[in-house]
Amino acid sequence: MKDKRCEPVRRELEELTLNGEFSATTVEHLRGCGECRQFQRQQTRLRQIVGSLGTVSAPADFDFRLRARLAADSQRSGFRSFAVKGLATAAVVVVFGVGVAVIWQRNAQQGPVAEAPPIQQSKPHEEKVITPPAPEVTPTVAVNHEPKRKIERPFVAKPKRTLTALDFSSERANVIGNTRTALNNEAVFPIDASLQSLKVSLDDGRGNARTISFPTVSFGSQRVLTTANQFAPKGVW
Amino acid sequence: MNTLTTIDELAFAPGLQEEALEDTTSDHALLEATRSGDQDAFAELVSRYRNQITSYIYRMTNDYDGAVDLAQETFVRVYRARDRYQRSYAFSTYIYRIATNLAISELRKRKRRKLVSLTGFFQPTDGGEAKELNPPDGRPLQDSELVDAERRNAVQRAIGTLPEKYRAPLILRDVDGRSYDEIAAILETSEGTVKSRISRARGFLREKMRAYL
Repeated sequence: MKDKRCEPVRRELEELTLNGEFSATTVEHLRGCGECRQFQRQQTRLRQIVGSLGTVSAPADFDFRLRARLAADSQRSGFRSFAVKGLATAAVVVVFGVGVAVIWQRNAQQGPVAEAPPIQQSKPHEEKVITPPAPEVTPTVAVNHEPKRKIERPFVAKPKRTLTALDFSSERANVIGNTRTALNNEAVFPIDASLQSLKVSLDDGRGNARTISFPTVSFGSQRVLTTANQFAPKGVW
Repeated sequence: MNTLTTIDELAFAPGLQEEALEDTTSDHALLEATRSGDQDAFAELVSRYRNQITSYIYRMTNDYDGAVDLAQETFVRVYRARDRYQRSYAFSTYIYRIATNLAISELRKRKRRKLVSLTGFFQPTDGGEAKELNPPDGRPLQDSELVDAERRNAVQRAIGTLPEKYRAPLILRDVDGRSYDEIAAILETSEGTVKSRISRARGFLREKMRAYL
């Protein structure tokens, strides 16, 4: 039966090298403990068998295959670094191109382009324009969708802008049917108007015209619904 | 020049210490030369360690062709990382650490693929104890060499059934004869853990190899 003195002895038997010498305490214990003697025999035998496994040799073409592998690896890493550099260069070119395109587009939008006929002044029915809080229109409220510029300008009293559209949302809108002619020959927007966004042109009195684009407002028109769902039967909600 | 076969010779053979140090230093020198572009220096390193590394990985994985492949991968990684190598520990520790990690990765891959070895022990699906496919022959011994070969095969198969964390320290200690502190450095663990795992591994093997002990 194993007792407490067996534990340090077995630990020493485990940790000692095969040809190592036992301590006097261990020798004394082994004389009197049959289990530890058996343990020591089995342990020694096992370690001898495991130790006899020896070293397995690498094959004769090991060096040759390793050189080929290193050569292939260096080619791959060279291609990889070339690919990385190429991708990085391409990314820089793309970012630069996008930046140039954005700047060009912004500059183009500031030009006096009116893509839609300007709305006639001082007439009701146009409810798409933001109401200016005071009679004088300030550019930042109505048209400032572009990023702020850093250009320094001397303070000049700004002339009044010429409005091309007003908001009459508090007034009741006249209902205009498809068969009725427009009242007072005013411009109307038929219910099946184009889905393109509405563009309003403003003249600030200094010869600069700015165009405001408004998204399409749906009145639940059949055309809008039909266009949105191309698979729906025509003429049916 | 005497070639060291075990680290224990460093401690018990003082006469060889200087030679051992020179040998260790030359491993570093060879790697430094490799860093500078000397291919022959790297070839010398390979010739020093290819058998040891191949053998070690073979003992770990029980697959010779796979072991050769992983041994080559070990050297490829040493070559790739030559600029990052630090001299704070021995080159043998460094290369064995790479080899150990590759062998353990391979064992884990196999476990996931649930490969079954047809020439050794296998794990039954009912979760019972591993059975030996080739039980020891009870007939009278005819040829001691054949007996020894059979015993070695049996112990190799038995090592192959050990959990991977017990396999590496046992092989490094009982097959390669490395010291506990070197094994601890290779496995990046403490000496106490190394001793404990070796003790457990031997306990497993004693059970499996009872017929041969």
